[in-house]
Amino acid sequence: MLTSLNWLKEYVNIDKTPEELEDILTNSGTKVETINPVNNTIKNIKAGLIRKIEKHPNADRLFICKVDIGEEAPITIVTSATNVFEGALVPVAVDGSVIGDGTEIRKTEFRGVESDGMFCSVEELGMNTDLFQKEILDGIYILPKNFVSPGTDLKEPLWINDQIIDIELTANRGDCQSIIGIAKETAAALNKDVKEINFSTSKGIENIDNYLKVTVESEKCPRYTARMFKVNKIEPSPLWMQLKLLNSGVRPINNIVDVTNYVMLEMGQPLHAFDYKSIGTDEIIVKTGNKEKTVTTLDEKERPIHEDMLMITNGKYPIAVAGIMGGLNSEITKETKLVVLESANFDKTSIRLTSKDLGLRTESSSRYEKGIYPELAAEASKRAAHLFEEINAATPIEGFIDIQTVKSKEPTEIILEKDWLNKFLGVDLELEEIINYLERLFLEVNKIDANTLKVIIPNYRQDLELREDLAEEVARLYGYNNIPSTLMAGETFVGERTPEQKLRKDLENLLTGLGHYQTMTTSFTSPNQIKNLGLNPDDDKVLILNPLGEESSLMRSTLLPHQLELISLNNNRGNSEGQFFEIQKTYHQEPVGELPSEQIQLVISEYGKDKDFYDLKGKVESVLSLCGIKNYKFLPEGSETWHPGRKAQVVIEDDIIGEIGEIHPNVVKNYDLPKRVYVADLSFNKLAQYANDEISYQDLPIYPDITRDLAFIIDKNILSDDLRQVIFDNAGKNLESIELFDVYTGNQIPEDKKSLAYKLVFRNPNRTLKDIEVNEAVDNIIKAVQEDLRGELRAF
Amino acid sequence: MNNDLNSIKTNFVQSLEKVKSEKDLEALRVNYLGKKGEITQIMQNIKNLPKEEKPIVGKEANQLRSFIDSELKEARNKLEQDRINSNLEKEKIDVTLPGKDQNVGGLHPLNKVINELEDIFLGMGFTIEDGPEIEWTKYNFDYLNMPPEHSSRDLSESFYYSTDEGKEIVLRTQTSPVQIRVLQKKGVPLRIVSPGRVFRADDIDATHSPVFHQIEGLVVDKNITMGDLKGTLELFAKKLFGEDIKTRFRPHQFYFTEPSAEMDVSCFNCGGKGCNVCGGTGWIEMLGCGMVHPNVLEAVGIDSSEYSGFAFGAGLDRIAMLKYGINDLRLLFENDIRFLKQFA
Repeated sequence: MLTSLNWLKEYVNIDKTPEELEDILTNSGTKVETINPVNNTIKNIKAGLIRKIEKHPNADRLFICKVDIGEEAPITIVTSATNVFEGALVPVAVDGSVIGDGTEIRKTEFRGVESDGMFCSVEELGMNTDLFQKEILDGIYILPKNFVSPGTDLKEPLWINDQIIDIELTANRGDCQSIIGIAKETAAALNKDVKEINFSTSKGIENIDNYLKVTVESEKCPRYTARMFKVNKIEPSPLWMQLKLLNSGVRPINNIVDVTNYVMLEMGQPLHAFDYKSIGTDEIIVKTGNKEKTVTTLDEKERPIHEDMLMITNGKYPIAVAGIMGGLNSEITKETKLVVLESANFDKTSIRLTSKDLGLRTESSSRYEKGIYPELAAEASKRAAHLFEEINAATPIEGFIDIQTVKSKEPTEIILEKDWLNKFLGVDLELEEIINYLERLFLEVNKIDANTLKVIIPNYRQDLELREDLAEEVARLYGYNNIPSTLMAGETFVGERTPEQKLRKDLENLLTGLGHYQTMTTSFTSPNQIKNLGLNPDDDKVLILNPLGEESSLMRSTLLPHQLELISLNNNRGNSEGQFFEIQKTYHQEPVGELPSEQIQLVISEYGKDKDFYDLKGKVESVLSLCGIKNYKFLPEGSETWHPGRKAQVVIEDDIIGEIGEIHPNVVKNYDLPKRVYVADLSFNKLAQYANDEISYQDLPIYPDITRDLAFIIDKNILSDDLRQVIFDNAGKNLESIELFDVYTGNQIPEDKKSLAYKLVFRNPNRTLKDIEVNEAVDNIIKAVQEDLRGELRAF
Repeated sequence: MNNDLNSIKTNFVQSLEKVKSEKDLEALRVNYLGKKGEITQIMQNIKNLPKEEKPIVGKEANQLRSFIDSELKEARNKLEQDRINSNLEKEKIDVTLPGKDQNVGGLHPLNKVINELEDIFLGMGFTIEDGPEIEWTKYNFDYLNMPPEHSSRDLSESFYYSTDEGKEIVLRTQTSPVQIRVLQKKGVPLRIVSPGRVFRADDIDATHSPVFHQIEGLVVDKNITMGDLKGTLELFAKKLFGEDIKTRFRPHQFYFTEPSAEMDVSCFNCGGKGCNVCGGTGWIEMLGCGMVHPNVLEAVGIDSSEYSGFAFGAGLDRIAMLKYGINDLRLLFENDIRFLKQFA
């Protein structure tokens, strides 16, 4: 919110530099985002009274003006501007002055006539060009008659030296969306008073009841008030009023509308002025359920509306979107004779939803959205009435319509105990100090006893309900940064990771050690990307009701889509190889009315030179080994995502803990992947479940081993695991280890066969083994392999 | 006899000087000390000498043998050393050639930040907790004292899985529901942090993402004060950014804390002088925090007159971006290996 420091100073005596004020406000809870002057560069631009205008003798489009700038003799200004006239008070950039964009102005000769400077437009004055009407922007900025005496430096009178404070307000401080609100906060922080507002009005003429009847038919409008005025003359408002609007970021329009905006900025209550004649009836009905499909708002845009939107109507059709923007049909125009001034309270949620649906956020709607207390409607109406008279814009019609559909709240009372407060904040304040802080915030404080206060909350502080709220009030004036920092006392806590959290960290370390980079991908995918994996998206569907788009409509049930997408991205960007892993959640459908379940998956992927199934399998085995899992198997099974001949399920007993494989060529195509991509998709939860970190030391062997190398030629389709099992089952109890050291197909081996070579180590822990015992075992093995697998020993 | 020994010695010394290789040396050794070597023969002949000469010759012969033996050893050592030195010269390599690629990977920068924060809080006696990312609205909003009309509940701001009345399920918009779940499960006293993933209906750009990460902290015990909140978070900031970092606490507003604050840290890039990292202010917004709102404690059945606590929450993606100078949030989710490698 933009706040003019000059305006603020009219209510609080601020004896601080803007920088000091910024710190004081921020540290007491009114966060200053920025604080900047309107324009810092202009220098020596003076008010000049045009005495005489003559045509330039040598140039058709130039005029020579004699201008009084408060010096003995008038100066000469040559201008091409057509909106200046004799007797006009205008800004003059004299010799040596600097205009808004930083240009220094010097005496210049125009076709033989020396000009002592130039007249200035709004832009050249460094004022905000966004907020002026085009006619004013196009010419020289004409100042009101007698605004200042000729020769006066205009920087101060035009509020160009004003500091604009941009304040970030918190959601609970609707009352601070106004000069008065900020003034109260500033006064509290500086320990100062706030100047009273003038509400005085004279007795009006005639009576409002002769003109208008108001009905409120919706609870979305807790309070609706109306006054009426006879317009004296529709004209621009006084410059002092315009300047305040300008420096608050609001465009001046005319004296009637400007007053409504002025009061909104000053007090925080949005007001609206209707042209009585164009209302077309003698009544206002506030209601929802309108049948119209559109309404044209003041900004001349036709906007679609619906029945839930609260409208101000004339009993027949809408004349304003309540609390957001007036209708074009009842706008104040130059011809307006009678004005209806609305000052109402609307439900903040209703305003917020309508504003969102219309895509229209205004100064008014944003104030309603934060919440305004209903009593303010009456106060603001009165203030506007005062201002209409003060600037001679309109004369009041007697009477005040005030309809309340919701009863006003009793003032809140909060009991605050000194001892509790000190203990809660960790400070040591005297009761008098606490009272002082609360009273600085304009709260009424009653002392009950030496430890207890009863605090009565004014109606505009709807955010104060509990003693903790008052603790914050005291703390922020005392200064959060003055509260001594302490370390927690009491029970000792031991912070440590759970076994699962430790395992996760260990896995991260292992996989980075194996050359993999951890990735981070979002949780959203799409049914289409699941289809692209060769899977059925309907099998496990956690759909978002209101996704940003189809491609992010599904909570992923697998980490594979993102992992493949990032491989595709890397490959397409010329990264010729990559090794990745990710440990993240997946989401799974549960019966209706229950939360979807969440699991943690570990996905490991790689592509590029020297990568193959066995490379990745080795890494998966390292993972299993890190987990202390020994009793696992790789079975040639798995989903449609994988190459059918290069996929495996990792199984512990009968429990599938994951799959590993080469990505199916169809999936490669769907995801635009390099030809060979290897991925392992494992359940981290199951790894953690089967993990075993118990280590039991085995004595180092003292008796020698005997090793035998055996190679078997077997059918290509027989799994090495099966052969290994046969060897294991027939090797006897002295077999210490089996290690596959060679797989061979090719020359000397029939085409449908393969050769697998194993190194077998035999040892007896209690004695030296004899050759004959090992020979016997080897014979058994050979025989069993022949019988069970029709395998033959290969002669080396 | 003595003359014999002297001439043997003279001959030996002359021969030794001529030795060029270990092979020559070995031949020399055999000549003198071998089974039929000159010294050996003399030793064998001692028994044939007259009784009175035996000890004298024996002694001298022994001395000569020791002399030869030690000379031979010395010569051998020298030859060996020469050989080693000459090999070393041959084996010289270009040490500036690159080392063999060991293919070490690395953690994602966000995860590095998470690990670092976790370690800091573990050291302060906190445990790490997790909670569902798809959550009941009562945990994400109601129990956290969020007003029923608050805009964050709108379909335009939060992602919903179910809007069935009484069974509304939302993709959690903050890590704060973990506070509620852990309070319910473990009760008080409590010290937890909970890093995790949260969701908001924002379009993705350089600073926004519909998926981002937060870390939540919660302490509840008897006698927890706002001074404790400050002390704990100041310590955290110093551990994360170094001893010289300064903190400041500004009043703010959150529904689940009262009083509420935002903690700024002095800019770690410019040290507080003002730069483009801190937008010229010298301060960087780090986290939101406050004393746990009594409504939150009461919602999970904890007596707020007996217990108090504080909570805090910080955006992890932002901390990672600030810490590493990453200027676009999208880079974190893209996983280009050239990006990831920079954090290994």
